[in-house]
Amino acid sequence: MRVRRMDVADIPAVLAIERASFADPWTEALLRDELGRDDRVWLVAADAGRVVGFGGVMVVGADAHLMDLAVTPEERARGTGRTILWSLAEAAVKMGAERMTLEVAPSNTEALGLYRSSGFDIAGRRRGYYPKTGEDALVMWSRPLAPHVAAMRAAREGSDIILAIESSCDETAASVMRGGREGLADVVASQVDFHARFGGVVPEIASRKHTEAIVEVVERALESAHITLADCDALAVTIGPGLVGALVVGLAYAKGLSAATGLPLIGVNHLEGHLYAARLSDPGLEPPLVALLVSGGHTMLVHVPEWGRYRVLGGTLDDAAGEAFDKVAKLLGLGYPGGPAISRLAAEGDPHAIAFPRPMLRSDDLNVSLSGLKTAVIHYVERERREGRPLRLPDIAASFQAAVTDVEIAKTLRAAQEYGAHAVVLGGGVAANPALRGGLRSALSAVGIELNVPPLELCTDNAAMIAAAAHDSLAVGRFLGLDADAAPDLALRGNRCACGDRQEI
Amino acid sequence: MRPFLLFDTATDHLAVAVGDLEDRSAVLAADDFPAPRAANTVLLSSAERVLASAGLRFEHLCAIGCGRGPGSFTGVRIGVATAKGLAHGRGVPLVGFGTLDAVAAKIVAGLAPDEGQLLGVVGDAMRGEVYPALFRVRSGGVERMTADRVTLPEVAATEWAQLGRRVVLGGQGLVKHRAVFEDILGEDGIIADGALWTPDGPALVRAAWTAAGDSTVASIRHLPLAEAYRIAHPAALLPVYTRLSDAEEAERSAGRSVPHNGVAGPRGGETG
Repeated sequence: MRVRRMDVADIPAVLAIERASFADPWTEALLRDELGRDDRVWLVAADAGRVVGFGGVMVVGADAHLMDLAVTPEERARGTGRTILWSLAEAAVKMGAERMTLEVAPSNTEALGLYRSSGFDIAGRRRGYYPKTGEDALVMWSRPLAPHVAAMRAAREGSDIILAIESSCDETAASVMRGGREGLADVVASQVDFHARFGGVVPEIASRKHTEAIVEVVERALESAHITLADCDALAVTIGPGLVGALVVGLAYAKGLSAATGLPLIGVNHLEGHLYAARLSDPGLEPPLVALLVSGGHTMLVHVPEWGRYRVLGGTLDDAAGEAFDKVAKLLGLGYPGGPAISRLAAEGDPHAIAFPRPMLRSDDLNVSLSGLKTAVIHYVERERREGRPLRLPDIAASFQAAVTDVEIAKTLRAAQEYGAHAVVLGGGVAANPALRGGLRSALSAVGIELNVPPLELCTDNAAMIAAAAHDSLAVGRFLGLDADAAPDLALRGNRCACGDRQEI
Repeated sequence: MRPFLLFDTATDHLAVAVGDLEDRSAVLAADDFPAPRAANTVLLSSAERVLASAGLRFEHLCAIGCGRGPGSFTGVRIGVATAKGLAHGRGVPLVGFGTLDAVAAKIVAGLAPDEGQLLGVVGDAMRGEVYPALFRVRSGGVERMTADRVTLPEVAATEWAQLGRRVVLGGQGLVKHRAVFEDILGEDGIIADGALWTPDGPALVRAAWTAAGDSTVASIRHLPLAEAYRIAHPAALLPVYTRLSDAEEAERSAGRSVPHNGVAGPRGGETG
């Protein structure tokens, strides 16, 4: 697809798209008149010579007014509208525009999604704006255009410097990255010591510690990259999923930083970050992939047909894997976090000693359930105690771990084969578990599928993976506005290039 | 002119103002409106709009200030975290003030009470508790008499009744607990008009100028920027919670010691 200036010869094709898109379309006479004006820019997107979309902008002083933007129905949700929008912005900047404003009907959810996910905020509402339908118009304003256009260009050239912030759970992290791959700094302030005595993450403590740490963490990242904010092209922040109070601190701080500096802000899905961690550790990693994301908060299998497109194939119906480890460790008096404690103990035990159940091992889907297994461990411990037998902790740990990993490995293998994955990515904090890594590696190598496990510091929560994911969003022009909110239940789905709801990153 | 931006998000009523570090009486622009659970989505747009009404942009700001609470934990954190981002991004000092001090300033502006008049501000602490703070009118402004804390409304009302003097009452804690204060204080309790229970922009400006201690307007106003930024660094300012997290409160009520972990901030529950 190519974007070029609209020509009089394009008018019939443009009018056809216009009529297919709006109840009250522009007329040919109006459009012809537009093309002759100096303060206007009209562009078309052409695919193999065929016009598939168009848009126009009028520049008055520092304000660019988006006059029209439409994409032919069969080409929608492929990023064409976004490409036209940012091409118009680039042209408007050259004519002296600082910001862009537009009107959109609230019922036009596709367009609204495109503008919101390009960083436009709703500034007001014009009652009964559209004469034919009587519908209101929402008035939207962009963030400063020039830094956005410049950062997108830098991203396409691979020279963009992104400062990324992550605060979705109990690590306050900041990273500086060039071109989405070259890490310049990576700082993680873990709060684990503050949560340990409670046997799990206390959300209120997490939110307080993020508030205390965030400025210093960002400052340390900038210092260690030997840069200042002025050297950055864009900012990125995790918007979800995660603990809402924790996410809000990182997002509010990042929005403040963005408003103060004018730097564009990119919102990143934390789970997408975990997938990009694999690309950071292996730049040659190419989809189609299947990823197993296992942490204290998540347990899911994801199909990645190409970077930016995801489908969750299955996940836990109850406890996340890390959560199950924590709960069993607490039961056995092993402390927090439970994963390392159990895997250490398991190394000395017999994984076949106790026949714990393998829930859903033979179910006809890619889901897992871990709370029943935890209950089985509780019942076993109670029975042993009742009968006065000493607990063989290493055997319990090894047998429990074997039950969890058997199910995860079986489901992952099945997903990889069903979806023809070249490689499987293992991500999330539980990827540190040696039994899971080793078991998965041998199961996959038996069928000729490669396993990619990023180094541990990229598996646990970090901001480098957020910067890596943000780079791809920046290249296509996905941004947050000042009114962006945290999305604690954000799902991993959809096509990142599409114009849809901004929460479907 | 050295403009600075102020806001408070500790309650469900958002207030924004622009003051001038060279003129304590100046309110260059202001706005306030109800924004329940919406601070994160509306704060920066409102700030940008209020600045624009004074012909200003974020890049013109010489300092940022925000209310430190006490109030809704998440609400206060949204304000403090946003303020940290703005101040860090601009490289300007971050100053704070007490949310209840701003309410006291609003009451004084609205009622013009006599010198020496006591003001009892009652913040809503949820769960049947309040954040009470006692002030005294002094030289047309307010002087704080008690530190921020959290307690039962009956406890605060009884303490104020024991003063044996008239107390003008205001604050959003009265929405739920007005009857308690009326019963216990009797004729000594004078309830201010409900419109004076939440801060507005000018009240933030007055509270910011009155605040004492570290990371306040008073601590930086005479200093060159680099020095002011160092001593009122955006990393330093923290919310005033007055309560520990629930997990720590449970630990404390079970009689176990709560290790110091700084979650209430380096200056504990005190507001300067």
